[in-house]
Amino acid sequence: MPHVARPPQPLSAMAHGQPGRICGVRMTPDQVAWLAALGLPVGEDVVVLRRAPFGGPLHVRAGSGAEFALDLDCALGIDVVPAAAFIR
Amino acid sequence: MSAACHDAVATPVAPGAPLKVLLIGRPNSGKSSLFNALTGGRAHVGNYPGITVDVLEADVPLPDGSRAVFVDLPGVYSLNVDVDPQSDEGVCRAYLDKARAETGSRVIVAQVIDSTNLMVGLTLTRQLRALGMPFVLLATQRDVLDAEGRRLDVKALEAGVGAPVAYVSARGSARVSDVFESLARACVPPAPEDFDARALADAALPKRGAASPLRLHQTTQRLDRWLMHPVLGPLVFVFSMGSLFTALFMVADPASIAVEGLLSLIARGVTRALGEGALGSFINDGVLGGAGTVVQFLPQILLLTVALELIEASGYLARCAFLVERLLRLAGLGGRSFMPMLMGHACAVPAIAATRTIRDPRERLLTLLVLPLTTCSARIPAYALLISAFFPGMAAWGKGLLFLALYLFGLVGAGLASFVIGRVLVKRRRSLPFVLELPPYRLPQVPQVARVAWQSGVRFLRDVGTTIVAVSAVLWVLLSLPTLPGKPASGAEPARPASRTEVMNQSVAAHVGRALEPLTAPLGFDWRINVGLIGSFGARELMVSTMGVIFGIEGDSEADVARLSQSMRETKNAAGLPIYGAASGLALMAFFVFACQCMSTVSALRRETRSWKWPAFVLGYSYALAYVAAFVTFHVARALGVS
Repeated sequence: MPHVARPPQPLSAMAHGQPGRICGVRMTPDQVAWLAALGLPVGEDVVVLRRAPFGGPLHVRAGSGAEFALDLDCALGIDVVPAAAFIR
Repeated sequence: MSAACHDAVATPVAPGAPLKVLLIGRPNSGKSSLFNALTGGRAHVGNYPGITVDVLEADVPLPDGSRAVFVDLPGVYSLNVDVDPQSDEGVCRAYLDKARAETGSRVIVAQVIDSTNLMVGLTLTRQLRALGMPFVLLATQRDVLDAEGRRLDVKALEAGVGAPVAYVSARGSARVSDVFESLARACVPPAPEDFDARALADAALPKRGAASPLRLHQTTQRLDRWLMHPVLGPLVFVFSMGSLFTALFMVADPASIAVEGLLSLIARGVTRALGEGALGSFINDGVLGGAGTVVQFLPQILLLTVALELIEASGYLARCAFLVERLLRLAGLGGRSFMPMLMGHACAVPAIAATRTIRDPRERLLTLLVLPLTTCSARIPAYALLISAFFPGMAAWGKGLLFLALYLFGLVGAGLASFVIGRVLVKRRRSLPFVLELPPYRLPQVPQVARVAWQSGVRFLRDVGTTIVAVSAVLWVLLSLPTLPGKPASGAEPARPASRTEVMNQSVAAHVGRALEPLTAPLGFDWRINVGLIGSFGARELMVSTMGVIFGIEGDSEADVARLSQSMRETKNAAGLPIYGAASGLALMAFFVFACQCMSTVSALRRETRSWKWPAFVLGYSYALAYVAAFVTFHVARALGVS
C-alpha cells in the first residue's frame, strides 16, 4: 500500500500504531551512520508500538521486522513521514 | 570453488598454513550459539545485544583431518562507525584489523546472520565483503524457519552475496557439517559489485502474504503486551527481580554453609598438622580464610549468573532495560547500564566486565565509577553482624526493613554519585543515543546456560579469588606482627603462648587503629572498629572474622556471630558505659554502604579503564562519602536520642 505524503514529524510525536517512513535524521553523521547500521536508515518504515512510562524510551518496530528501544532524545531527532498504512 | 565466487578474483584458501575462522556478526545473531555448536561449547550464549565480552577461541578438528581455530568475536553492527576501542565493537574491529594484517595464517571471515532478520545483517555483509578477505556467510535460525514452513533460498543468497552460504541451526548440532563444507569453498567475493540489502533479503526469503510476521514475532508481540505494559510491565519487573534475589539467597545460603563446613574441616586438619603457631595461623587465617571467603561466595555468583543468563537468553533482560531506562537516565546513566548495575548486586567484578556492552564511553565510565556503591552480596554478612550487634532487641520485620534501607541507600547513593560525577567530572555529552535492539523471546538452552555459569565461576575464582587471597595474606601479617614476646624471663614460669586476640591487640594494625582514633572518634568508632575496617579493606566480608579475632571469638558459625554480637554489646569504656551504641552501629552501616572495601573491584576497575587514575578516584570518593555519611548518621542519631 503506498504511503500518503504528509508533513514530517519527529518519531517521538508519532501515535501508537501509526506507520511512517524515516525521511531524515537530525544528528551527527556518525550517529546517523550508527542508526543505519542498527537497522534504522533513512527510508526505513517504522511504527511506534508503545512508550515506557514517565517519558521513557519508545518501542519501535522497523520494516525489517527488527524491534528497538529508543530514548526520547533519539526519537526527537528522527523525522518520519506518517503513512496511511504500514507497507511492510 | 563455489559458483558464487567470481572466477577472476576468487582466491581459494591456500593449503598448509594454519586456518583461523573469525565468527563475526551482529549481536544476537546466534553467533555464540553457533560457536558452541561447532566447538562443543566454550562461549557465552546470550539473547541480549553485545553480551560476548571476551574473544573466545577453540581449536576444532575438521572433517578432512586438519584443524581450525574458531574465534568468537564480540558482536558488531558496522565497520564504518567510530567506536570506543574498549567496547565490544572496538575489540571486534581491532581483532579484525589485526587478522587482516596477519600473513602467516589463513583467515576466513565467517559472518553469522540471523535468517529471520536478513536485511539488517546484509548491511554488515556488504562491509565485510569489502575487506577483501576470504568470506563465507553462515545463516542461522534454520530451525525457526523450518518450524514455520519457510525456506531460505540459499542459491539466491549466494548469488547476491558472491560467496558460499551455509544454512544452519545453531540449536543442536544439526547441519553444522554444512559450515565445515562452506569453509572449504571460502573465497574472496568480487569486491566492486554491490547489492541492495533489502532486495536481496526479499529475494532470499520471500514474504508470505502482505503482512504475515513469523510466529516467533507474533508470540513476542503477545508477551510484550503484558511484559512491557506501562503499569503491569514495571510491576512484573519488580516482582521478578525481587523473586530472583529472594530465591538466590534461599538457595545460595545452604550451599555456602556446606562450603563453610568443608573449609572448617580443612582448617582443623591444618591445625593438627602444623599446630596453632604462626605458620598454622597464617595458613588457616591468612590463606584459607581468604580462600574461604571466595569459595563461600561462589554459589551466589553461579546462581546469579544462571538466573541472569536465563533472563537474558529469553530476551526479557532487554525489556527490563527498556522499563528502567528513564530512571537510569535521571542519574545520567542509560538502559545499557541496567545489566551491569543489576549484576553489581551480586558482585561488582563480573558487573565491571559487563560494562563492555555499553557503547557510549561516557556512560560506560560513569557506570564503572558508581558500580562499587551497589549493595553486593559481600556486604550482607557485615550488615547481618552489625544489625545483630547493635539492634539485638529489634523485631524481625524491623531488621528486614533496615536491610532494605541499606540496599536502597546503596542504590540512591549510586544514582546521586552518577548525577554529580556526570555533571562535574565527566561532562562530555553522550556520544551516542540510547538505541537497544529488542530480540524476540526465545527458550534458553540449558546446556549453554550451564557453560556460561562455569565460565563465570572460573573467571570469579581467577580474577577475584587471587586478589582476595593475596590481600588476606597481607592483612594477616598486619594483624599478627609484631607478636607478643614469648620468651620467658630467667627463673620465671614459662610464658603461655599469646592468644590470637592478644597478638592482634599488639599488632601493626592495632597500632594503626589506635592512631586513627582521633579521626574516627567523631563517627563513634574506637580502635577495634578501626582494625575491623583495616581488616575489611581488601574485602568487606572480612570485617566479621577480623572483629571475631579482636573479641576472641573465632569461627563463622551463627553461634559464633551471636557471641561476637554479645561481646560487642558488652564492651564498655573506662566509665563503664557501652562503647558501641546504636548510633555507632548506624554510623558503621552508613560507612559500609559507601566505602569501596574491595580490592578485587579496584583491580577490575584498573583492568577495564587501563589506568590507576579512576580506581584511585573511586577509592577516594567512596571513602570520603562513607566518612561523611557515617559522621552525619552518628550525630543525627545522637541528636534524635538513639543510644
